[in-house]
Amino acid sequence: MVEGVVRSDRRSIARAISYMEDGHTEIKKEIMEKLYSHCGKAHVVGITGPPGIGKSTLIGNISVLLAKKGMNVSVLAVDASSPYSGGSLLGNRIRMQENLFNYGIYMRSLANRGARGGLSESCMGAVNVLDASGSEIILIETVGAGQADLDIMNLADTTILVLGPGLGDQIQAIKAGIMEIADLFVINKMDIDGSYFAMKDIEEVISMDDPRGYKRRVTGTSATDHAGYDELVGTILDHGRYLSGEGTIGRKRFLMGARWILESEIGRIIIDPAMDAIKKKGTDRNPYVLAEKIISQLNAEISKEL
Amino acid sequence: MSGGRYMADGKSQSLFREKPIKVLLAKPGIDGHDRGVLVLAKAFRDAGMEVLYVGLLPTPEDVVDTAINEDVDVIALSLLNGAHLTVFRKVMDIMKNKGIDDISVVGGGTIPDEDKPELEALGISGNYGPGTPLSTIIEHVRMRAEEARIKKLR
Repeated sequence: MVEGVVRSDRRSIARAISYMEDGHTEIKKEIMEKLYSHCGKAHVVGITGPPGIGKSTLIGNISVLLAKKGMNVSVLAVDASSPYSGGSLLGNRIRMQENLFNYGIYMRSLANRGARGGLSESCMGAVNVLDASGSEIILIETVGAGQADLDIMNLADTTILVLGPGLGDQIQAIKAGIMEIADLFVINKMDIDGSYFAMKDIEEVISMDDPRGYKRRVTGTSATDHAGYDELVGTILDHGRYLSGEGTIGRKRFLMGARWILESEIGRIIIDPAMDAIKKKGTDRNPYVLAEKIISQLNAEISKEL
Repeated sequence: MSGGRYMADGKSQSLFREKPIKVLLAKPGIDGHDRGVLVLAKAFRDAGMEVLYVGLLPTPEDVVDTAINEDVDVIALSLLNGAHLTVFRKVMDIMKNKGIDDISVVGGGTIPDEDKPELEALGISGNYGPGTPLSTIIEHVRMRAEEARIKKLR
């Protein structure tokens, strides 16, 4: 299967992503380890924003422009699972599939399966599978996100926040959370009244940015008029070049991969034996002091490593 | 993403630890009657499945491509325009040519009884018409999904 993914065989890619969704942790780790040497080339672009703002349509349109530039594009779209049945209606595909069919773009729908934060647990794995298969740009659509759905910032090299007219004033625009994590802003539905005020509010936010960092930009788009997409694609590629210059493309995924292994093992390898050791002590000892002691010993070990 | 973030305490928490059935609903061919397929989409969702719908007017090639890319367990075809023998057969031919045998195919719509044996012979089961209880269809899809899952494990 891993060879199939590297050969960019669609069935292997699809099956590998299914393993990321459904497989046991051990299988997932094995696949990830094998794939990692083929990874690191892709520019991961996260697209987030409130439900119904037009993320799927936007992705459908920009994926075509990227494909026309000769880039290997793929799309991951996360949709919500039902808290009652666990089922899901994966409806993102229907907004973009016409374009996908015409340009042979790989697209996969993922249900979030109860994960919070706007992504699914399988997202990082799926991104690595697509990266290893030769994708140069991977567009990820989050579940329609609220102000605190920030997981995408840990996975995407470029985070795009899509907003529209009528979503709030300047105070809304300078709030903490999702407004801070965006590298690029899009005001969609520019054909609707009020969109220029929304643009102006975002421009004010950007003008207050730290001038030493990347200069964030806002682009207006409209699917009705098919406007603004070329400019948006330009800003995405520009941000990609900025990150390449910094050498930080793929850095987030590198860290996330390490964290994933650490977190999945920490209970079994560290907490369980530490608790066994603590259980042997009498209740006359102070539990806080005992735990602190174990942690300081571990800290000493970690600084010796690597 | 970090750690096992499952839903907060709720009545169906355990469902998230199982692998949901993934089903693709499709109306290949020229047929705009999508009320039935939309009712099924919601029914499958409520039955705990992950549901995809290819929308109106996809070609049989589009349907098979989508099924491959999404790695679904079951393709559920629906037609009410009388072209089921032609179009469903086309879908099966494409799957055969691509060597896909680990995705089950079920059918539905306005399908006369005399056409059903031919569809069954192609490997398309179910072929339920209007008025069939949703529970019958869900049960059937579950059974066919299980078959596909077993083949995927080979």
